[in-house]
Order: sequence, then C-alpha cells, then structure tokens
Amino acid sequence: MKKTKRVLALMLAASMSLGLAACGGGGDTTQSPTGGNNSTPSGGASGDTVELTLWTYPVGTFADNLDATIEAFNKVHPEISITYETIDYQNGDTKVTSAIQGGTTPDLIFEGPERLVGNWGRSGVMVDLSDLWAEDAASDIADGVKNASQLDGKYYMYPLSVTAHSMAINYEVFEAAGALQYIDEETRTWTTDNFVKALEAVKTAIDNGTVNVITPGIVYCGGQGGDQGTRALVNNLYSGYFTNEDGTAYTADSEQNVKALELLQTLVSEGKLDGNTAFVASDELQAFANQTCAMTFCWNYSNYVSYAEQTQFTPYVMAFPSDDGVPELEMGIYGLGIFDNGDQAKIDAAKEFIRFVCNDQTQATECIKQTGFFPVHENFGDVYAGTDEEETKAPFALMSTYTGRFYNLTPGWTEQRTNWWNMLQKIFGGTDVKTAVDEYVSASNANIK
Amino acid sequence: MAQNAVATASKKPKKEKRSQFSGMSKALVRRETISAYLFLLPSLIFFIGFVVLPMIMCLVYSFMDMGLGESGTFAGLSNYVRMFQDPTFIQGFWNTVLIVVVAVPTVTAFSLWVGSAIYQMKPFTRSFFRCIFYLPVVTGTVAVTVVWKWIFNVYYGVLNQVLGTNQNWLGDEKTAIWCIIMILFTTSIGQPIVLYVAALGNVDQSLVEAAQVDGATKLQVFWKIKWPQIMPTTLYILVITTINSFQCFALIQLLTSGGPNGSTNTIMYYIFDMVYRYNDFGYANAMGVILAIIIAIFSAIQFKFAKTDNG
Amino acid sequence: MNQAKSKLSGTSSAYKIVSIIILILLAIFFIFPLYWIVTGSFKDAVAINSREPVWFPTSPTLENYVKLFTRPAGRWLVNTVIMAVGALVLTCLTAALAGYALAKKRFYGRGLLFTIIICAMALPKQVIVIPLLQEMNTLHLADSLWAVILPTVGWPFGVFLMKQFSENIPNEILEAARVDGSGEIRTFFSVVFPMIKPGVGALAIFTFVNSWNDYFLQLIMLTSEKNFTISLGIATMQGEMSSDFGLIMAGASLAAIPIVAVFIAFQKYFTQGIAMGAVKG
Repeated sequence: MKKTKRVLALMLAASMSLGLAACGGGGDTTQSPTGGNNSTPSGGASGDTVELTLWTYPVGTFADNLDATIEAFNKVHPEISITYETIDYQNGDTKVTSAIQGGTTPDLIFEGPERLVGNWGRSGVMVDLSDLWAEDAASDIADGVKNASQLDGKYYMYPLSVTAHSMAINYEVFEAAGALQYIDEETRTWTTDNFVKALEAVKTAIDNGTVNVITPGIVYCGGQGGDQGTRALVNNLYSGYFTNEDGTAYTADSEQNVKALELLQTLVSEGKLDGNTAFVASDELQAFANQTCAMTFCWNYSNYVSYAEQTQFTPYVMAFPSDDGVPELEMGIYGLGIFDNGDQAKIDAAKEFIRFVCNDQTQATECIKQTGFFPVHENFGDVYAGTDEEETKAPFALMSTYTGRFYNLTPGWTEQRTNWWNMLQKIFGGTDVKTAVDEYVSASNANIK
Repeated sequence: MAQNAVATASKKPKKEKRSQFSGMSKALVRRETISAYLFLLPSLIFFIGFVVLPMIMCLVYSFMDMGLGESGTFAGLSNYVRMFQDPTFIQGFWNTVLIVVVAVPTVTAFSLWVGSAIYQMKPFTRSFFRCIFYLPVVTGTVAVTVVWKWIFNVYYGVLNQVLGTNQNWLGDEKTAIWCIIMILFTTSIGQPIVLYVAALGNVDQSLVEAAQVDGATKLQVFWKIKWPQIMPTTLYILVITTINSFQCFALIQLLTSGGPNGSTNTIMYYIFDMVYRYNDFGYANAMGVILAIIIAIFSAIQFKFAKTDNG
Repeated sequence: MNQAKSKLSGTSSAYKIVSIIILILLAIFFIFPLYWIVTGSFKDAVAINSREPVWFPTSPTLENYVKLFTRPAGRWLVNTVIMAVGALVLTCLTAALAGYALAKKRFYGRGLLFTIIICAMALPKQVIVIPLLQEMNTLHLADSLWAVILPTVGWPFGVFLMKQFSENIPNEILEAARVDGSGEIRTFFSVVFPMIKPGVGALAIFTFVNSWNDYFLQLIMLTSEKNFTISLGIATMQGEMSSDFGLIMAGASLAAIPIVAVFIAFQKYFTQGIAMGAVKG
C-alpha cells in the first residue's frame, strides 16, 4: 500500500516534469539563451535550399580556408549553404561517437580512412560513394589510395590529399656528433646498421658533452597518440610487415618484427634510445623541439608547421631506417565522407560539394595546399611548383614516394592500437619480446571476425 | 538558551530513529507530503527530465548488445557476466578502490584540518587561504594537467630537479598511480575546505561557550560540540569525495591513458574507452551501472556510519 | 569566545605557529600551478617549452591572447558566463527548495527519492551523456546552451548539499513560525533561507565553477562554433600532434578571472551565515 503510493507519487512527478520539459523544448526555441536559431530545418527535399554541416579534424590549416572554399562553392551552387565546425583530435572521436548515437551527426566529415572507412564506414553509418569513384575525375587516383577508401567494394571516402609519415633528425646535433656519415642525404634514407651507429655516435657525443641533448631518441608508448611512428619504426628495421598481405591477420610476431623489437629493447637497455612509457607522440615532438632528444619518430609536414616556431635547429626529414635501405612508409590520406542522415537531397548536395573540393583543379589545389600534403590526383602534378613552399615541401614530397602497404583498415584496428602501446610498455619494462609479441598478436587477432 | 539548544541536539536523533511519521496525524502527513512535493517540484522537473530518464536508458542499454549506429539487441545478463571474467575490468576495479581508499580519508581529514585552522582567522586571511586551496579547481583540468605533466617530466621536470632524481614519475608502475592520487588530492580539497569553513562558522557558539565555561578542553569541545554539528557537512564531503574519486577520469585520460601496464587503469577510464573507442555501448553501460551500485553501497555505509537520519 | 582564546596554553600556540607554517608552505604549493599558467600565458613558444624552466617571462608577449581572439573568444566567454550563471541561478533556487523539503518534511517517498538521488550522482556522466544527447535532440535543444544548463541543474549534488545544510535548522524554529501562522513559502524565505545562506553561497560557487569546467558535457552537447564555451573553443584550436600550451594557458587564465570574481562576490554569504548562527536557539 505504502509502496504503491510512493511509486504513484513518483510517476506523477515524472510525467509532469516530462510534459513540462516537452513543452519548454518543443514550444519555442527563441527561448534559447544563445538567442540563435538552433533548430536547423532538416528538410532540403521540399525547399529550394539545402543546409549542410561539415565537421573537420584539424588537418594542416584546411579549416582556415573553408570560408573561401564555401564562398567559391556558393557561386556555383547558391542553393546549398554549408556551415562547418572544427573538431580536435583529442576529443573528436568522442564527439562523433555521441553524435552518431544521439542522431546529431553532420552531413560531411573531413578526416582519413581509419575513421571514415574503418570505423564509421564499417559500422554502416556512412554513405557509399561508389558513384563518385565511377566518374572520370577519379580515374587518375592511385590504386593504393583507392583501395584505402573502400571496404568490401563500398567507398566511404573521397580523398583530397595524401602524405607519408616519416621521421626527422636534429641536423645540427647529428653534424656535431659526426653522425651525418650514416645517412644518405640524397635519398634521405639509412640502413638499420647505420641507424644504430648514428645512435651510438650521438650517445657518445652526449656523454662527452659535445651536444646538448639528453637522449638520442625517445620511443614513446604512453598511449596511442602517434603510434604510426612506432609501427613504422618496427616494421622498417628488418623489413617486416604489420599485417599479412590481404589484411586479415596481424603479423607483428614475424621473425623480422621480433628481431626489430629485440633490437629496440637492446638499444633502450644500453641507453642509446629511451623507451618512455609516459610519453605519447606530442610529448616526444615537444622534446624534439626543445632539443631533449635528437630525433622524432612522428614527423610530417603538419608537425613541421606546428613546431616551426620553436625549433631552433634544422629538423631534417628522414625515412625510417631499414635493413636493406629501402623504406616503406605509412600513408596518411585525408578526404571527405558523408554521414547517412537519410535525406537524399542532402546527400546529393554533399556529393556536389565533394566534387567541387576534391576534383575541381583550382579549388582542390588550394585545399590541398592548406592541408600541407600532396594531391591524390596524378594529373594535378606538383601543386607546390613555383611557390615559396617548394623547397620546404621537397623532402616531404620525396617521402611520399616511399609509401608502402596500407594496413589501417584491418578489422580490429582500434583494439590493436591499444594492444600495441601496451606491448611496447611491457617490452621496455623488460618482458621477453617473444612473449609480449605473441600476447599482442593473439589479443589483436581475436578481434578479427 | 544554551540549555535549550543542548536539549535539542541530544533529543533530535532519537526522536527520528524509527518511523519518520511517528507522532504525526494522518492529515498532517498528507499535508506535509503535498507541501514537500511542491517544494521538490522545480528540482524534480530537472532531475527526472534530465538525469533519471537518461539513467533509465542506461539501465536498459546495459542489457543490450549494441555497437556504433545500431539500435541494439537484447543480450540478457551477458554484459554483466562478461565483467567478472574481464581482467582489465578487475584490474581497473582494484586500482579504483586504491584511489578511493587513499584519497577519501586524506581529503576529508586534511580539509577538516585546514578548515578548523583557518575559520577563526581574520576575514581577510581566511578568505585568502580558502581562495588558495580552491585555485586548482578554478583553473580547469586541462591547464592543470599540462603543468603537472611538465613537473613530472623525466628529462627536465621540476620534481626531478628538486629531488635530484631521474625518475619517470608517470611512466613507472610504482609511482604513476600515486602521482594521479596526489593531483586528485589537490583538485579535491577546495570544495571541502569551503564547506568546512562555512559549517564551522555556523556552529552554535553558545554551546561552545557553555562547554568552555564548564572547563572542557579544546579537543573535547571539538569532538563533543563541533563534530556532531558539522556531521551533515562531513557526510556530504565523504559522499562527494567518494563519488569523485570513483569517477576519477580526466586526469588519467590526459596523463597516463591508464598505463603504464594498466597500473592507472580505473573503471571509469575503462568505461570511457569502451564507449568512445570500442563503441561497445551495452558493456559500457553495464559497467556504469555496476560502478553506480558500488558507489551507492559505499555511500550507504557512510550514511550508516555517520548515523544521520536519511529518511 | 575571545576570553577563551586568551587562555590558550603554551603547547596550543606552538601548534598554531606550526600549523600556520604548514599552511603557508601548502599555499605556495597550491598557488604554483596557477602562477605557472598565468605567467606561461605571456611566454612565447620557445620559452614555454624550454628545458630550463623560465620562472618569469623575460620578454612577455601578448601573442597568445591575440591568437585567442583571432577566433570569437569574446563570444565564447559570454556563452560560458550565460551558461554558468543560468545554471547557478536555477540550481540554487531549485536545490534550496528541494533540500529543505528533503531535510525537514516528512512525506511519502522520501527514502526512495533520496536513494535515487544518491544513485544518480553515482552514475558516471560519461555514460549518461549519450541518452541525454538523444533526448536533447528530440527536444530540439541539442547544440544550444540549454542542453548544458538543464542537465547541470538536474544533477542532484545541489539538492544533496542543501539537504545537509538544512538539517542543522532547529525544528523548534520551524514550529514557532508555524504557530505564528506563517505560510510555507513565507517560512522558507524568511526563516529557512537566511539560515542556509552559507550553503547557498557555497553551492553558487560550486555550480558556477563546475558548469564552467564541465568540459565533457559541453563537448558532447555543443557543436556550432557560435555556441562554444571558452574551453571548448580552445580545444578546437589544438593540432593533432601539438598542444599550443601558450594558448591553453591564456585561455585558462582568462577563464579563471570570472571564477575568482564570483568566488570573491559570494564570500560575503559565508560571513553572513556566521552572523546568523547567533540567532539560533
């Protein structure tokens, strides 16, 4: 009796508050303290104008130029209005995940295949862009990029620009330590043996005070940030592969990769490298910039720009060291995808915008330059030719000729990333390499369905 | 006046121990209930609308198997069963318990000490200290962690420079969690100190004076007179600090990602990972529910221990 | 009370001196992060990331603040204030009413309600935000400041705090007011509210600061740049592999000013509360 009354009282209160909340919400949105109009009309199907939203991760200065891009777009398509928002890497995934679950996703999103294809495409929340890829304009896009934009024949991304993740050394420190003899300045490559010798030279120079850095290099593994660097380092040292050829299994337990990890473990224990279980790539880059370490394993043009202000030395772009001197770098691709919000008019308008941004040579060139990377369209040629940036861009352009297998769409990729840095932590903590790697591989392969 | 208050203080808990309605007529109970709900109504609208409703959704989701962009399928108790076989969850549980067991008593005792040390100071000095200890809360987690990360840096961090050590504070399994607890401590004591200063200032001075006239020592005055009167505040501080410690998350996300070797992995961090990285919503919600139950049990123990009437 | 103080024994004053020394040392320890943040906001990129700590900006620069205001940081600041003040006012009002009822009224459902309140506080926000976003979307409130204010007001910390403060109100006073023929509402505003004022003051500060710093809820709920809060806006200005510490610190310094102002403004309520203590009994 008493209990039912309690429940009744609560239910009454609940329904009352619900009713009130619904009234307050549905009734009038001008009540909003922003004073703004925040209920974007969803239908573009019946009306003349279509309103699109675009979220972009901070890739170079892509977002900074969006106002101009949209303005140019509106000259051709005045009926499509576009608003854009920047989201950051630290919190962007959190935001997109909740938007997908909460039904508030944008129409367009700008990032790379790991997210657009591997994550959201795989979950079925993205629009298949096969028709864009079937068009003539897509014919000059390299197969590597094309393959990275699709999953089981469905294309969830249309690319704009491409880069290769490389590393960089502190040129002056290497010079002072007499380590420049170990690198090929022409091709910007080095062999694993020479890499070890260079580390030894820098270490000696540190010990006798010739150079003012604290450690030759930091292998960071405090989180997943910038793990493309540690992946590439391990894979290149003895030309191992991260996954098998068809991307159905993780193969970090291959003989070559075990050897590579054992080498790193030895280098760390000898003090020629530092295994840092508290650092992620941004910490390591910070340490590279203030000359704590003499090299970084996470370098691309974007980072070059971000740190240009504080690097008081020459950050010298290098490929990852490899036993045969032939590096295979991990590709970074950036492009647009469309969230399936079930509104065909919006989807069509979004595709129109993609065509404009990625295929229109004038527009695309400008946008590519803003990302700081290189065109996916072979017909575009060198977009930096004749510009001020030609010289600084040259080594990065060289790096993009070394790109290798794109394995980032392997199922279970997200889980693998966490397993990876945890494995490195164990290895630098002294766990036997084989044991740690086996554990990593079996845990990661378990997520492949 | 003083005697009257003493009588009240000693009579109150006894009177309300059994049924809350004892000695009330039915009509009075009805009248009280109606007026109580009218007082509660504004708050209930927000509470039920924006907390209880989503909370119920979480409970529902916890029984579902649900990935990104999916509406989910019923999964029975499987998410709950999985938890007890998941070594990461169990590790996170024990790390969380360590944080709570260390942080809650230290924060409460320390803030009580600071509170009693400063509440009788001159208004300016009191405000000054209260403000100082509240600063880490004011500055916001992101900026504060930037500073702490720099302090703990192995290569050029201030801590190593001061101590002359070469310790990777956040990168060592033995020290990382203590660094987290230390930072949690600095960001947790601001609120309790503010509350203790307010509560101690509100202690009935006539009772204190009466006791002093009777020759009670300072310690006796504190335990016999002040402590019972600040009990509701203490209880609030205990419960809130427990909840905050259980839910310690941003520090870990920004400083250690749960590492090294899982030594700072907490339930809360694992839940966050499960939602936003692995997108396993059913499992994450189930862990959220279990975390809430654990916290509620801890709070219930604290209420019992504090022997305060909670209705 | 003053006479009692003068009777302090020797050990007691020694204790007092030791405790003041400890307090001062701790104060330095607690001030340091803010000091570092404020001075850091005036440093250039090299100085802020220097291996040798730059204890004081030798060549102070306003660059970080200039950079901050290249984006609508002023608007973000205004949004943040509107949000925090909105949450503060609504929370203090609703929580004071509800806390009093929970502490002093005897009614059906009281125990159950209190249990639900505790459970709700215990449920992690990181989990609850997804259904909350769905709800806000249904109500067409997503991406408005309401989406941040309403859940903040609903979060029952305030009710709990007010309940704890209201417990100290002697029943005799309420009884006396009732005998005098004072209505429920009048009793609340003329008798109860003045007595729980220090609590309300504390709650005002806590709500203001918590909603100011509740970065997570803002992140999920707000998507348009025009609706951003200051902390959200600064986050979006960070690169993938680089954190602009100068910018973070400039933002934090800027954000700290209104909070400290509110803190000082509400201090007087604590003092008034102490004066009210004498009225008791």
